Amino acid sequence: MGATDFIGAREDPSAPDVAALIPMVRRVIGARVADPTTAEDLVQETLVRVLTAAPRVEPGMLEPYAIVTARNVVTSLWRQQDRDRRNQHRVVDLSPPDAPDDDMLAREEQEAVAAALARLTDRERDTLVAHEVSGQDTRSLAEELGSTAGAVAAQLNRTRARLRVEYLLVRENVEPPTDRCRPVLLALSGGDRRRQREVDAGRHLLECEVCARLSPPLMERTQSRDDELRIPIAVDADVVAARQAARELASRLGFARTELTLIATAVSEVTRNIVRFAGAGEVVVELLDQPRAGVRITARDTGPGIPDVQAALADGYSTYNGLGLGLPGARRLMDEFAVVSESGRGTTVTMTKWCDAR
Amino acid sequence: MTERPDTTPPPPPLPRSPVNEEELLPQLVSHLREHRTKLRQEWAARIQGAGLLHAMTPQEMAAETTSVYDNYVEVLETGSVEALQRYARDLSERIIPRGVETHEVVGIVLLLRDVLARSLFEKYQRDFALLNRVLDAYEPAANRIANTVAVSFVDERERVIRQQQDSIRELSTPVLPVRERLLILPMIGVLDSERARQLTEQLLTGIRTHRAKVVVIDITGVPAVDETVANHLVRTVDASRLMGASVIITGLSPDIAQTLVTIGVDLSKMDTIGDLQGGLEEAERLLGFSVTRGDGTGTM
Amino acid sequence: MTGPKLVSILRQGDWLIASIHTALDDSQMLLFRNDLVEQIGRHRSRGVVIDVAALDVLDSFGANTLRTIAEMARLRGAETVIVGIQPDVAFAMVSLGMDTGDVPTALDLEEGLAYLGRPTGARSRGRRDAAG
Repeated sequence: MGATDFIGAREDPSAPDVAALIPMVRRVIGARVADPTTAEDLVQETLVRVLTAAPRVEPGMLEPYAIVTARNVVTSLWRQQDRDRRNQHRVVDLSPPDAPDDDMLAREEQEAVAAALARLTDRERDTLVAHEVSGQDTRSLAEELGSTAGAVAAQLNRTRARLRVEYLLVRENVEPPTDRCRPVLLALSGGDRRRQREVDAGRHLLECEVCARLSPPLMERTQSRDDELRIPIAVDADVVAARQAARELASRLGFARTELTLIATAVSEVTRNIVRFAGAGEVVVELLDQPRAGVRITARDTGPGIPDVQAALADGYSTYNGLGLGLPGARRLMDEFAVVSESGRGTTVTMTKWCDAR
Repeated sequence: MTERPDTTPPPPPLPRSPVNEEELLPQLVSHLREHRTKLRQEWAARIQGAGLLHAMTPQEMAAETTSVYDNYVEVLETGSVEALQRYARDLSERIIPRGVETHEVVGIVLLLRDVLARSLFEKYQRDFALLNRVLDAYEPAANRIANTVAVSFVDERERVIRQQQDSIRELSTPVLPVRERLLILPMIGVLDSERARQLTEQLLTGIRTHRAKVVVIDITGVPAVDETVANHLVRTVDASRLMGASVIITGLSPDIAQTLVTIGVDLSKMDTIGDLQGGLEEAERLLGFSVTRGDGTGTM
Repeated sequence: MTGPKLVSILRQGDWLIASIHTALDDSQMLLFRNDLVEQIGRHRSRGVVIDVAALDVLDSFGANTLRTIAEMARLRGAETVIVGIQPDVAFAMVSLGMDTGDVPTALDLEEGLAYLGRPTGARSRGRRDAAG
């Protein structure tokens, strides 16, 4: 089945002029592959893929689509080589298919990327394409845009974050159910913790199923920063998992053994409250370096909430088979401790232990 | 030493042709290399004149100033401060024990910066525009070097101080196994919360390693404690009991007793004995009992 | 039950030696409690040593469960001693505001058995003390 047959079969008058794409594809690939024979092979492969997908690509989007495809084809050539870490953030870094059965999936993904690109503003798209595809550096981009390299880099990061979100929305074929969803997804995608706190991303993910479903791939990148852990809590065994994870992460800061056990015990107490009273929630363990080294635990749930937080923090308050030491006990183990509870919405316990020893 | 001090500046090939920015630093570096001996000596003289580094012998001073000079020029050349950083740490490690102060280290680096700047000024003074560009290239690099050296020194100093504090702490809270199954913890001096924490750690692990059945904590040498430390002390006593050891406290001053009562400790539940001698007798008695059959020793 | 055993309960004459081998979650802790109390009744044991040396944490629930076990054992005529609480765990327990109530504690299994008055253990240690 040759490409020419395919073109011949098309009678649509609005057929895109694929031939017009050839110089551009050649340039993209030529910039990356030195050997002319290999480069020409890749150009042909790219054109075949573009042609196959052309009917489903929006007319104006064929060029960016071809660029993305060309890049993918080149990546395919390189895939045996070590992936450079700096490529991790590139959303179009989809591993191209080997087997023919994967081809369909790959096409769908590429279409999703193209559709996501279409949702960006022209300026965002142009800057991103110039940087990612043509390899233009941030400094020269800044000059063209009358901005600074730092601002362009930040803008690029935001654009990539948006692209990832839009890509997921297109691929999963969903519309965000609430107007809080997009800001939360963007904050997660950008890995911007301050922003995540501002929009209370953690709580939204507990409450919004759609975002909870979409968010894991967005968070994988931030998880790879490995100074933060997120443990879903639902059953008894999760209590043990959470306290062990907290101990392990905190041990990196040089806490003394006794202090690690204080932290683990406090996590155990607040996590048990989630299992007993809320049924579901999560515990987030973060290492802090500002204002000094420490570990922060955030335990949040979507339970009924605590009717009287002050009473719950007083010794002896107990509504289950414990000793009423859950919250007040945990508070004694940590340096900082705060409870926010909203009736019918849930409870968030935030507690911090500073590592002043060394 | 065998190098000939070049007293007369060589007639500078006047940089008439506009030099582009990339060539400025290399040109500057080769100038500093060429006049290394003279500039280094000038620098050493100014260090002496300012009364800095008097803890060093002239030989040491010559050796260190040479190394610093070479490292300095290398940073200007390569733009990478890593080697200098390593050297500065190493140097700091050697001179901190001899009492060299931060202001001396910062002082000598600033002196070198000025000596070199002045030499550049002499060389380029005939072309004011070029001189300006040379200084523009030199100053940020020189400031970065001064910064790096100062930060390395302060970091190293803090590390050394921390280390010393740690060892002092360990010395000041010894856990002494006086006889089988009996530990004595004589506490002396002011207890801050950091020391109290270390004390807890040492005592509790000491109970485990020495399989202690009785612990005598003597606080005769502790003038006063604040509430946090008192609290810590009480927790340590309770934790020792949970591990199966009995705790006797000796030398409790009225002040500390008052603090304990203030934070709600029931003193009647603590085994307190007036002096260490009495405490040891009580410990022997407990150990004697515990060999046959203890009645509630090690219980709460 | 599959996998490595989380706990073991050994019978030694009139005594039961119950060892926890790993961190337990709450439901496992309750199973352990039920199992142990059942065996105390079945064997008419007079003493129980619970070895908690492998526990990473003894929080309010864990400590309370141990106290409940001791109380139920007492009602069945057995005395309980808890052994092997680790230094850091002990400190965290008291910081939390917990203790073992009236339940006696001892350093390790040997001490726990000595506490219960196991004659062979006390004799053999007495000899060693005399020798050293």
